[in-house]
Amino acid sequence: MAEPPATVTLTIDGRAVTVARGTTVWHAAEQAGIDIPIFCYLDRMPPLGACRQCFVRVEKMARLQTSCTLVAEEGMVVSASTPDVRGAQERNLEFLLINHPLDCPICDKGGECPLQDQTFAYGSGRSRFVELKRDFAKPVSLGSVLVLDRERCILCWRCVRFGEIVAGDDALKGFERGFQTEINTPFTQPVRSKFIGNTISICPVGALTSRTYRFQARPWDNDAVPSVCNHCGLGCTVWLDVRDQTVARVRPRETPDLNDIWLCDLGQFGFEWLHAKDRLTRPLVRKNGQLVETTWDEALDLVAARLAESRQRGAGRVGVLGGARLTNEDNFLLRRVFREIVGTPHLDHRLDARPGSASLQVAWGLRGPLAAIPESSLLLLVGCDITEEYPIAWLRMKQAVDHGAQLYAIHPKPLEIHRFITGRLIHSPGAEGVVLAQIANAVRGQKPDAKVLQEAGVDPAVVAGLVARLRAAARPMVFIGKNALEGPAGTTVLHAAQRLQAAGCMIHIMRGKGNAVGAALMGVLPGPGGWTAPEMIQQAARGALDVLYVLGGDPATEVGDAHAWAAAREHTPLVVVHDLFLTATGRDADVVLPALTYAEKHGTVCNLEGRVQQIEAAVRGPAGARGDGAILLELAARLGAEWSYGGWEEIFADARAAVPGLEIGAFRTPPPLQGDWPANGALPARSADLVLITGEVLFDRGSMTARSPAIADLAGPPSVWVHPADAASRGLVDGALAQLSVGAAGLVLRARLTEEVPPGRVYVPRGYDAVPVNRLLSWDQPLVTVSLRAIDAAAAAGPGSEVAP
Amino acid sequence: MIRRRWGQVLGMLRGLSVTFRVLFRPPVTTTYPDEKTRVEERFKGRHWLTRYADGLERCIGCELCVIVCPSQAIFVQAAENTPEHQVSRGERYAADFQINMLRCIFCGFCEEACPTGAIVLGHDYELAGYTRASMIYTKPMLTEPYPGAGGRDPHREI
Repeated sequence: MAEPPATVTLTIDGRAVTVARGTTVWHAAEQAGIDIPIFCYLDRMPPLGACRQCFVRVEKMARLQTSCTLVAEEGMVVSASTPDVRGAQERNLEFLLINHPLDCPICDKGGECPLQDQTFAYGSGRSRFVELKRDFAKPVSLGSVLVLDRERCILCWRCVRFGEIVAGDDALKGFERGFQTEINTPFTQPVRSKFIGNTISICPVGALTSRTYRFQARPWDNDAVPSVCNHCGLGCTVWLDVRDQTVARVRPRETPDLNDIWLCDLGQFGFEWLHAKDRLTRPLVRKNGQLVETTWDEALDLVAARLAESRQRGAGRVGVLGGARLTNEDNFLLRRVFREIVGTPHLDHRLDARPGSASLQVAWGLRGPLAAIPESSLLLLVGCDITEEYPIAWLRMKQAVDHGAQLYAIHPKPLEIHRFITGRLIHSPGAEGVVLAQIANAVRGQKPDAKVLQEAGVDPAVVAGLVARLRAAARPMVFIGKNALEGPAGTTVLHAAQRLQAAGCMIHIMRGKGNAVGAALMGVLPGPGGWTAPEMIQQAARGALDVLYVLGGDPATEVGDAHAWAAAREHTPLVVVHDLFLTATGRDADVVLPALTYAEKHGTVCNLEGRVQQIEAAVRGPAGARGDGAILLELAARLGAEWSYGGWEEIFADARAAVPGLEIGAFRTPPPLQGDWPANGALPARSADLVLITGEVLFDRGSMTARSPAIADLAGPPSVWVHPADAASRGLVDGALAQLSVGAAGLVLRARLTEEVPPGRVYVPRGYDAVPVNRLLSWDQPLVTVSLRAIDAAAAAGPGSEVAP
Repeated sequence: MIRRRWGQVLGMLRGLSVTFRVLFRPPVTTTYPDEKTRVEERFKGRHWLTRYADGLERCIGCELCVIVCPSQAIFVQAAENTPEHQVSRGERYAADFQINMLRCIFCGFCEEACPTGAIVLGHDYELAGYTRASMIYTKPMLTEPYPGAGGRDPHREI
């Protein structure tokens, strides 16, 4: 039988339109430039035909047809603007408006509302409905960020289907029947999702609105400035809507091969810190043990003098930590100032790495574009909590799963997305290297050792299934996360991953926040003879450094061993910090310089794909604060350099000369894994005590997120996750205060009883600055065993403990 | 010759007849500012933000006046009503409302656009000031002190 032709030609409003076979009539009309009104259909999801707005007349078909669900066929004759079609569209709008409250003047969607626009374009301008409208209590709060107005809802189902099809979290659902149908969460509980902000942007009416943006501005008040989110490392493109020098909201900026039209809730609602009242505005210098406000000249003169002094004492007595929050241009200047003028090789942006950890031995980033993930038929997550660390990447993985891809996760605890995971490989802490090595061996033909796998805590049958699929898979991908790289088996994981790479897997190193990849590209890495960040901290503790220069980072809470940082601080005569707020590091520093955020700077940044993107300054920032690049240029001038840069473009031009291939829009994809990593086949010793595992969470209370009320609220209080069995034996109940101790160090946290953590382990989310978990961790001991006990609230303030808020 | 002179005298008398006729009418000039000129009912002068009879503000902070204003003279910042702090009917009210009287051209579009009849143009036309800052009318200056103070019926429905 002959193949049907790949295209069909149909007639719409008298115009011949040729489209690919399988295209719907609505899309065919769109391609021909014919506008058909629509509400329920969104081209990221399959058509539904719920709103009945897109009616067209098709010759030889009995009734009017919904064009979004109708597939175009050869020779179809469609009319989209005849009086009967226009009449049907007009009557449908009248029906939709019967129950719509028409409270546009108080509705946040007013001015950017598809229902308003289409009523204006296609409606009759009058209503024959004189009876009482449907009445719901409104507005209804659904958690920290979402406000629901059921009267405005036209039941298009976009938000419900977003949760089912795109995010996979089923956050919103339809309840009741007929006239009483409503969108809601079960029992109107706070919505549980990491992507709920997207339902606000796709809602065609004002039924779902944002709590942070509530009544803040009208669309005509805002200037939209293109920028790039700098929370996780994926660099999603955003619009910063600015009203009167204030960012009123953040919206996704469509980039089909990056974040598409989506954004996670941290990106969408985590921006209020930009305008926090306690942003630093004056330089601080320590005098007589106190940090006191001073002038820029005095602070910069002091820092420059001390840097020059150190330079005279010999090269390499200055260390630089941080850079992931800066732009490429700032990082380029950072490298130039400290390598060329100060003459130190000790620069590193990887603050949170352990000495000798695998993270320090591999280039971070995705080895292929994010948009290629849905083409893969097998995805393996190794120590990578994807929804917590890189949520937008999860949306791509969800697409792959919908296309039939298999998802496996090697992790010490179950993941939030467990119902999409084909095979769970929940291993005992520290055993990820052994498990991955067994898998790599099996893919290359060796038989996996069932006994070893069982000892590591994983099911050999699941491993066998994974191995069989890995051999047959198209474009298999392995995502190695921070948990695996920073764990005791990091190099074993890399060793195994390299062998999987040889067997055809693409290996992604999912590591780095903000512009970490850009910092690495610009050379904020140890030079010849230079120390890595943890080595710098260890050396500083021995008094080897005169100056520690910290930019846009908070080592006091980020370094994986609080005692190591404290020792470094104590034995370094001068610690200089650039930051937005007085962080834990800043409070102990000698000089604190107020810096600007990504929303206040022009420049470029790189994401985990190595994609170079431009950002624009949206607001001026607090008077008195200066950009990191500007501060570094001032220092350079004081140290005798005669540089003149007329703007970020000139710095970027210099950076391009130094880094080939650096162009806006270009990709600087990191090379495939190549290295000689030692493998260790031994399993860590089993412990009778509770093993502490930590991990990144999307919503936390760090220096920025704690100042974003919506995010701090979503994060909740600092908690320790305990399996109910472990809790019962210790007399802990859900929500009670618990003391977690390692030796003399202790933290007081709220117990969260959950089966999302296996027995014998406790999980503590990182990123809560008030309760820094790194006080319990130690670089010498990759696996920490802890004791956990219930305490009463009165004892919480006792010595050696931190009080939970 | 005589005919021509006679014509000139007649013309002069005709002209003077207007003078004499008006001479005995009451004068049209007023002694402003001692005496104020009466304005027509639909005169468009200084704005008022009116109230309902129960004292709640009519303005809901929708900013339709802002977008319709041809001289971009209006600034509005909305906020949310709470049961403890109910400023207007419904969910939304204007936390801040400013009109730059130096920019306003008194076209009355704001009054036409207003969905609740909150903003009205009153009869007050004495709007001079000594400083630019004094010409930015703020919400306390614009809001009528009691329902009906702006000259409109507080019971009227829009």
